[in-house]
Amino acid sequence: MRNLIQFIIKNSFFFFFLLLEVLSFFLVVSNNSYQRSSFISASNGLTSGILSVVSDASDYFGLKGENEVLVQENAYLRSQLLESNLWSENSFKRYNDTVKHQFYTYKSARILSKTIQNRNNYLILDKGRRDGIELEMGVISSNGIVGIVNDVSENFCSVISVLHKQSAIDALITSNGYTGTIYWPGKDYTIANLKNIPSHAKFNVGDTIVTSGNSTIFPPEIPIGYITDINLRAGQNFYDVDFRYSVDFNKIRHVYIIHNLLKEELMKIREEQDEY
Amino acid sequence: MNTKIVIVNIFRFILLLLMQVFIFNKINLGGYLNPMVYPLFVLLLPFEISGFALLMLSFFMGLGVDMFVGSIGLHAGATVFMAFFRTIGLRIISSNREYESGISPGINDLGYVWFIKYTMLLVFAHHLYFFFMEAFTLADFGETMIRVFMSSIFSIILILFIDIIFKPNIGRR
Repeated sequence: MRNLIQFIIKNSFFFFFLLLEVLSFFLVVSNNSYQRSSFISASNGLTSGILSVVSDASDYFGLKGENEVLVQENAYLRSQLLESNLWSENSFKRYNDTVKHQFYTYKSARILSKTIQNRNNYLILDKGRRDGIELEMGVISSNGIVGIVNDVSENFCSVISVLHKQSAIDALITSNGYTGTIYWPGKDYTIANLKNIPSHAKFNVGDTIVTSGNSTIFPPEIPIGYITDINLRAGQNFYDVDFRYSVDFNKIRHVYIIHNLLKEELMKIREEQDEY
Repeated sequence: MNTKIVIVNIFRFILLLLMQVFIFNKINLGGYLNPMVYPLFVLLLPFEISGFALLMLSFFMGLGVDMFVGSIGLHAGATVFMAFFRTIGLRIISSNREYESGISPGINDLGYVWFIKYTMLLVFAHHLYFFFMEAFTLADFGETMIRVFMSSIFSIILILFIDIIFKPNIGRR
């Protein structure tokens, strides 16, 4: 026993190194779980205060581009008003209409911090539980899909970007209606893969990919990207499709959080379906 | 003299942390390059520092970056690994002069060639740990190695650049 203690004291540097490595390894692993990540600590307290100030300042540099996007979006919304249910109001307020039945509401939010260079990327937004944000709400920008809310604190929420190993979103090719799933292989933040498109489907480079509306998270027809490369390996039943995201993740500063008003009802009927 | 070293290091800690989080984390070229300059803090810690303090300071340096990025434990682990490797690295890289107290690890005291070797070795160790831990798999070995090499080259150049710009009191001796 004494020898053991002496051994440890003699090599205290090495054992302290091991201790710290095990600690950080534990932190990484406990941080890696998908839904219940301890990521929220990053959106709390001191750091978010500083992030907010810096975001305020850096917002000015993007004002010109941001305005252009907003003008385009306004035009788009104006053209949509009569026949669609896309409301641009900055709240989860419901509208009563005898003809239409509202399905989704949108709330705008500002990005406080984001990453794009890692294998798994996140964003932090300036809306939280106080603003009615809940887990698993979809997040889009005016150009297309961005991610899904994975953690909510009082004033902030964190979002798993589509630039994430575990991000898998149902998608649809507009030209032929086939659905698949999108994954991000890492590397380039502008490029991702579309899987599960059967080999008998016909489509071309440049075709648009949008959300399928099969999930309860995203409404249908939200743009995802444009096909850049199509491969069919010999003997395979499914295409390898590469596409370019319609959103430039390096540039986005403002996003919309989507609230599905009928989510619970939908989930309930799906559960009942599973029972059979 | 001693308090001066402490103050310089505290200042360096804060400055490098802010530079890393608000400038270099925003840089992304081709999806591969993610330059990291904060390891310079560990590189420049004095020789006579105790092992305990060395590891502890490295841990907090990494954790500081983690707090902003949201990858709790990732940078911290990599920086501690690098700090541990520093003691071995110092033995591997020989120098004409002994690492006696009063000499600090830097271009001033030990010259360009020594400092470049020293930086290359430790930054590579840091990146190796960081990117493999981030990928958390050996499946994409080749791709992860490319990330390690590309980012290492970029980080080493930036670190040398920053060190030359902020070279402390040239006219000291």
